[in-house]
Amino acid sequence: MTLLTKWFKGTSSAHIAKDRLKLVLAYERSVRLPYMEEMKKEILAVVQKYIHTSKIDVRANSNHDIDTLEVEIVLEKQTPTS
Amino acid sequence: MVITITSGKGGVGKSTSTANLAIGLAMQGKRVVAIDFDIGLRNLDMILGLENRIVYDVVDVMEGNCKLPQALITDKKNKDLFFLPASQSKDKNILEKSKVQALIADLKAQFDFVLIDSPAGIESGFEHAMLFADRAIVVVTPEVSSVRDSDRVIGIMDAKSQKVKDGQEMVKHILINRIKPELVEKQEMLSNEDVLKILALPLIGLVPEDPKIISATNTGEPIIYTQSPSALAFQRITKRILGEDVPFVEFKTKRGLMGALRGLFA
Repeated sequence: MTLLTKWFKGTSSAHIAKDRLKLVLAYERSVRLPYMEEMKKEILAVVQKYIHTSKIDVRANSNHDIDTLEVEIVLEKQTPTS
Repeated sequence: MVITITSGKGGVGKSTSTANLAIGLAMQGKRVVAIDFDIGLRNLDMILGLENRIVYDVVDVMEGNCKLPQALITDKKNKDLFFLPASQSKDKNILEKSKVQALIADLKAQFDFVLIDSPAGIESGFEHAMLFADRAIVVVTPEVSSVRDSDRVIGIMDAKSQKVKDGQEMVKHILINRIKPELVEKQEMLSNEDVLKILALPLIGLVPEDPKIISATNTGEPIIYTQSPSALAFQRITKRILGEDVPFVEFKTKRGLMGALRGLFA
């Protein structure tokens, strides 16, 4: 890569193409499950039985022949009780 | 006026031609809608730079999941240009002849020009894309495989088009794309005359191979807005579609000092 292309890397058309493709493919690979909202609520209810949390993020992805379900639960910081 | 942009094989520049001609016609003050009929694969949205605005698609409209105006996406720069995206979740076999006919009739009533970006080849999607067209533009590259497949597609249009069945003529034109003048001059590439003689159809335009097309697609800003050789070619084709008599420009390789210099660095 020459110096010039390094300077303009952020605005080069290949760079723009890469960003646009990433966006589009991320959206297209996400599987839209009809039961997603319902499942989120139930998982949250189970977790809340044991620990305080209100943030849950569930992502379904499909790429090649693997479908994955990624569940991210943000736990609230425990304030130490003395 | 319904124009199908088609080809025998893929990769000859159908979607690029559809996008640029749609913009060209809109720039001439016409109300235009471009439909991506390549069901299952979307590409026209990326070329037009409208991929982030898609909510509904052409199959949603045909299946009655939404109303036509909900699915039509207005172009960024031309208020008279609209875009109807292809469906991705379905495959080409979902199309029903009667629903396609109804959709195209509906669009034809509302727009001066309906441009259909057809899938390549001879599958069912292609048939649906050309059945109800008034005219066809066959995009050909000066290569053996492209010319051969185009001939096949032209034959199918002659046999199946609704216009032909109604006893009328379906006007067909050839658009020769991705011409490399230096190879033609060296007789290493089929010339325009060769292609036209073989396919025996009138010519609507000659578009040279243009490296700037790649960056135009990368950024989603169609080439026709520039002064690039291919952009000027698409502008000329637009005028011909509107019935103007525009002379055909033959592409010559640049000779002289600049040409020699370019040759050195190419």
